[in-house]
Amino acid sequence: MSAKILVVDDEPQIRRMMRATLTGSGYQVDEARTGEEALEKFRAYLPDLVLLDLNMPGIGGLEACRTLRASSDVPIIILTVRNSEKDKVEALDAGADDYVSKPFGMQELLARIRAALRRAPTAPESGPRSFATRDLEMDFETRRIRVKGKPVRLTPKEFDLLRYLFLQGGKPVPHRELLQAVWGPDYGDESDYLRVFINHLRKKIEPDPGKPKYILTEPWVGYRFAAAEEG
Amino acid sequence: MNWETGARRGIRLAASAAIAAAILALYYLWLPVNHTTVALSLLLAILGLATRWGLPEAILASFVAVAGFNFFFLPPVGTFTIADPQNWVALVAFLVTAITASQLSVRARRQAAEAIGRRRELERLYALGQAMLMTGGLRPTPRDFLNLVMRTFEAPAIAFFNKADGEFHRSGPAAFGEEELRAAAERDEPLVDEQRGTALVAVRLGGTVFGSLGLAGVRLSKTVLKALANLVAIGLERARVLEEASRAELAHRSEAFKSALLDALAHDLKTPLTSIKGSVTHLLARGPGPEERELLSIANEETDRLNRLVVEVLEMARIEASKLHPDRQPHRVSSLVAGALRELEGTLQGHPVSLDLPEGLPPAEVDGDFIQQVIKQLLDNAVRYSPGGSPITIAARFAGGRLEIRVADRGRGIDEQEQARIFDKFFRGREARGVPGTGLGLSIAKGIVEAHGGRIWVASEPGKGSVFGFTLPVYKGEVRA
Repeated sequence: MSAKILVVDDEPQIRRMMRATLTGSGYQVDEARTGEEALEKFRAYLPDLVLLDLNMPGIGGLEACRTLRASSDVPIIILTVRNSEKDKVEALDAGADDYVSKPFGMQELLARIRAALRRAPTAPESGPRSFATRDLEMDFETRRIRVKGKPVRLTPKEFDLLRYLFLQGGKPVPHRELLQAVWGPDYGDESDYLRVFINHLRKKIEPDPGKPKYILTEPWVGYRFAAAEEG
Repeated sequence: MNWETGARRGIRLAASAAIAAAILALYYLWLPVNHTTVALSLLLAILGLATRWGLPEAILASFVAVAGFNFFFLPPVGTFTIADPQNWVALVAFLVTAITASQLSVRARRQAAEAIGRRRELERLYALGQAMLMTGGLRPTPRDFLNLVMRTFEAPAIAFFNKADGEFHRSGPAAFGEEELRAAAERDEPLVDEQRGTALVAVRLGGTVFGSLGLAGVRLSKTVLKALANLVAIGLERARVLEEASRAELAHRSEAFKSALLDALAHDLKTPLTSIKGSVTHLLARGPGPEERELLSIANEETDRLNRLVVEVLEMARIEASKLHPDRQPHRVSSLVAGALRELEGTLQGHPVSLDLPEGLPPAEVDGDFIQQVIKQLLDNAVRYSPGGSPITIAARFAGGRLEIRVADRGRGIDEQEQARIFDKFFRGREARGVPGTGLGLSIAKGIVEAHGGRIWVASEPGKGSVFGFTLPVYKGEVRA
């Protein structure tokens, strides 16, 4: 069955264009004109992915993104005319998985949609299937994480990022490699994505996010997972 | 001394003499006692008069008492015998009592009056301070303060010299000359003229001299004058800060308005471009025939061109409105250059690019997006204005506490006249005719570099090539990411 996409944009011509091109590319499409309508449609339509404009009357895209993310893991791609680093980080911080600035080529957007819908294989062929320390338990088969015994919800991208880092066994992983492993082969320069997602992860799993003990930064290189028991 | 107080004094003198006489009469006519008791009674009366009314009354009573005491009580009774030493002892005792007691009481009374006066001054200062604070969000002028001071201290005339604008403000009769006020601003101690009933004091706060204040028709201690001047200075300073804050608020609002306008403009221009590009690229991906492919490609390329133009014009507008706020982070020069090269991959058209980026360059503290844009712009220029296949060099070095990045080409070069104008808005060199572009790219690059506190320049020799260089600030903090 083809994936369902909810297009949220206040501009009718953009919605027309998106409906035609996405339907033509084999997706099912529904539309919303505002953030409020998007939240309503989301509950009724249960899309597999949301394409969200930022500049909209009413609660706007960022707020809608936050509200969606609070209750769902659905992949969210922000589509916006703004393209500064700050806007990007803000959108990712609000829970978006990806960010495409307008105007975009359809091929690029479709690649991003495929990347967002794609999940890394649930069970890796080799390597450990779970990991546990005193305050962190990870089960890679069920995609469950517990911190100090309490279950913690990770978005799929957060989970894939954590698992990839873990599976490298403490080796530093360069930004580009991480991006391509988790987001897909079309990625590589978006090191700000990593910054935001690593921040989210640290907030969720580290006892002290300011002084991480699991996810460590390797200056100028990337990140590595430290399975250190002590500390 | 006016008529009323004179009359009161006369009455008091008469009463004092009468009291002494009454005591004498009391003992002489009705209460026969020994004369020591009479003398002590008189002494008590004089003591009372001295403390209650003052020295003249007590002295008059003393003389009346000595005379009566001598005449009626001291033997021989009925005569004045000044020669008797008892008279002298009594007179001296009465006078010393009168003088000492009256002096003590005068001093006590003066101190009480001073205390009351000081309390009133303090009350007024307090009232003034409160009134000044109550002016709330309004921006009070020096004139408002003068009126407040006048009203609170009931001063008939007041003058203020405002050093900042050299203006003089006056209320009430003119009591002070301009020179006098100007000189007072530089003096440390208040100047009180008892005869004229005027006071001049410098209005200062810390090291800042606001001017001077003159008050006429009021008697204020130097301490209170200083406190008053201090209050006025605080009030003026507060007014200045309020004024500055509201001006900053205004500037901020107008900046926010410009920014919102540019955002709205970007949105409205890019939205139709998005619809066009989305439609065209979708059709291109559907495998159109050769004719359709050619036309759709043109539409697609022109959409990109239009988009670049929109971006450049808006960016220029932002730079001109000083709305460019670089988000400065540590970046390595090598990754900035690599990022720019990656984005230009398709457009380098076979120009070999050689890098000269020494190891150990300190990181730059810049907005990565913006600086990549500058590098892209310079590379783009090098590609456009040099023959296909000619080499381009990107070099960086650390010199004079700054990073310096240079992009060199082997193109046709730029003649001297054009070099001077090449960073101007919309300027396009003679060579540029026929090459697509808006003439904004280099002036945007200049705006970005300058927003980072750097400078950008060009060195060129016609026929040999051009070198564009710019400087960037070095990141001095600890490396975290």
